[in-house]
Amino acid sequence: MSGETTYYSILGLSVNASSEAVREAFATRVAQFPTQAEDNPEYQKLLQAYEVLNDPERRSVYDSLMAEMSPSPLVVNVQLSRSRLPVSNTPQILYLLIEVNPPRQNAKARRPLNLCLVLDRSTSMQGQRLDFLKSAVELVVDKLAPEDMISVVAFSDRAEVVQPPIHVAHKSAIVHHVRNIRASGGTEIYQGLLAGVGQLRNTPLSQYNNHLILLTDGHTYGDAQECINLSAQAAAQQIGISAFGLGNEWNDSFLDSLVTSSGGQSAFIEEPAQIVAHLQQRIQGLGMIHAQNLRLIKDFPAHVRLQYAFKLLPFAQPLEANGSEIKLGNIEGKGALSFLLELALQPQQHEGRISVPLDIAADIPGRNAKDQVFKNRAQILVTANPLEAAPPKDLVKAVRMLNMYRMNEKVWEEIEAGNVGVAATRLQHLTTRLLEAGEIKLAQQAHAETERLASMGSLSAEGWKRLKYGTRAMIGETVRMENNDSV
Amino acid sequence: MIQCKECGATQYEGALFCSECGRFLMEDGRAATDVLPFSDYGHRPPPPPPDDFRLEALPEAKNITFVIPHSRHRRVIGLAGQIRVGRSGSETDDFPELDLTDENGAELGVSRVHATIQWSNHGLVLIDLESTNGTLLNNYRLPPKRPYPLRSGDEIRFGDLLIHVFFE
Repeated sequence: MSGETTYYSILGLSVNASSEAVREAFATRVAQFPTQAEDNPEYQKLLQAYEVLNDPERRSVYDSLMAEMSPSPLVVNVQLSRSRLPVSNTPQILYLLIEVNPPRQNAKARRPLNLCLVLDRSTSMQGQRLDFLKSAVELVVDKLAPEDMISVVAFSDRAEVVQPPIHVAHKSAIVHHVRNIRASGGTEIYQGLLAGVGQLRNTPLSQYNNHLILLTDGHTYGDAQECINLSAQAAAQQIGISAFGLGNEWNDSFLDSLVTSSGGQSAFIEEPAQIVAHLQQRIQGLGMIHAQNLRLIKDFPAHVRLQYAFKLLPFAQPLEANGSEIKLGNIEGKGALSFLLELALQPQQHEGRISVPLDIAADIPGRNAKDQVFKNRAQILVTANPLEAAPPKDLVKAVRMLNMYRMNEKVWEEIEAGNVGVAATRLQHLTTRLLEAGEIKLAQQAHAETERLASMGSLSAEGWKRLKYGTRAMIGETVRMENNDSV
Repeated sequence: MIQCKECGATQYEGALFCSECGRFLMEDGRAATDVLPFSDYGHRPPPPPPDDFRLEALPEAKNITFVIPHSRHRRVIGLAGQIRVGRSGSETDDFPELDLTDENGAELGVSRVHATIQWSNHGLVLIDLESTNGTLLNNYRLPPKRPYPLRSGDEIRFGDLLIHVFFE
């Protein structure tokens, strides 16, 4: 769509812009015309664009027309914190906000979902947790389409298949089986994952969107590496994995790395009552995967180093920046996938141009295309007198949130290194920034942990998880609010 | 390298937030348009805008010369449609026809979208587009979004940047 005039480009908007953003863009643009501009063709165009995009019905008709005309199954949009850099003797930082959009498609693109729920039934799950989990499963089943497949595995130190793959239409049988899960035993996640992946493989993977959701409240002992290896194998077979931790016993860095290779989500469920909401949000869009297994091919010039990669949409998740590819996951539903990169550039002592390739590989199930590459690059000018331009607002907002998440990570690193004093100062700073951002609850949490750190020299396991996943969720919510209300 | 004003930590150029204390590193100078102290010229009421004003298509191409005294630069711009005055930004790929970025525009208080010059039934008109520091025409401060006829030889101040306009 590059270069083409669309109603979106007239208003300077992305195709996911919220109705509020449409109105705002119109207001700013129309203000640039003098009071009596009715005869001005530019003004007429602006008015027309606004009238269509501001009417949900007309907008959706326009979107589907645009989708039919769009030649590419993915549209990539790159924003830079600066497109011109000064000549400098020191390294410089550059941020890139990359948004990958499916063209607007109609709902026919849906493929059935092959979902496996792998549920922890260790002794510690007894009571409320298991009760909420069971009712959550029932609700999940309600949300799926009749042609979707679901299987359920429960595990403790061993795994049992509670429900082999079955069409969601057989709801009563599924509910009956899930109700009979009883809590007992320890936590060996590998057993559960192995059984879960096995159940998914019983269904022809190529005809489905395959996803495994793990829910656990405990540490796994000794089998963490096997789990991670298994998740990588599964990812290679188009099986995505998401993982949810309940309570405060589970190992956060383990769950984070478990989902890395498939680009899935890992999150913290504070209260059993929230299980339902988390699972529902996760399965939303899973059946409508427009493109899967997206990877950014990391072919950066030698003087450009990737420092940090973080996914913002469809959910906030740190990405593994090492290796030759960054695994981005899937484009779910109608929404975009977006991520932020922090690049460190070696000193640029001469004027010139830096070209950073940003090719994205993806599988497009609807077109039977595998490893299709979408070429992109960012161009940066190095000049003695760069223009002083403010970085895009969305980008600044995302970096602000991300910076808080990382301050949080550094607190942990300092504590591990034994620098409790430094960690406490940092945590205090974080408290201030959270307050500034209006995140009162998280700020209180950070404050409580600062005091705890000062008096006891450590953080509470739960407080730490709340901060880590709380700041992470904050990034996601901020970006979602900015981006759209259309998913 | 840059230094965080709040905690003193050294940060790479281009960093947006201090990695140590989280402070926004760009709020003064670079990113925002500087707000200048209100200048002393022209508090006289501006002439009323003409009643029967309307924009018109330009009968024939017209060259307009802008002279910027402080840099001694001279810019000749062909008027077709409109001449937007401002600074280029990264938010849009849109460059104003009269781009004052390289004239030290940010420091002199020129807004990104500052003003526009268009053709009307009263000839050339200048319209301030609600700029941060305002537009002065021959020392009259223009109310925003109202058209004022321009004559060759007029003196315009965009923020604190003085420009002379000449045309046939």
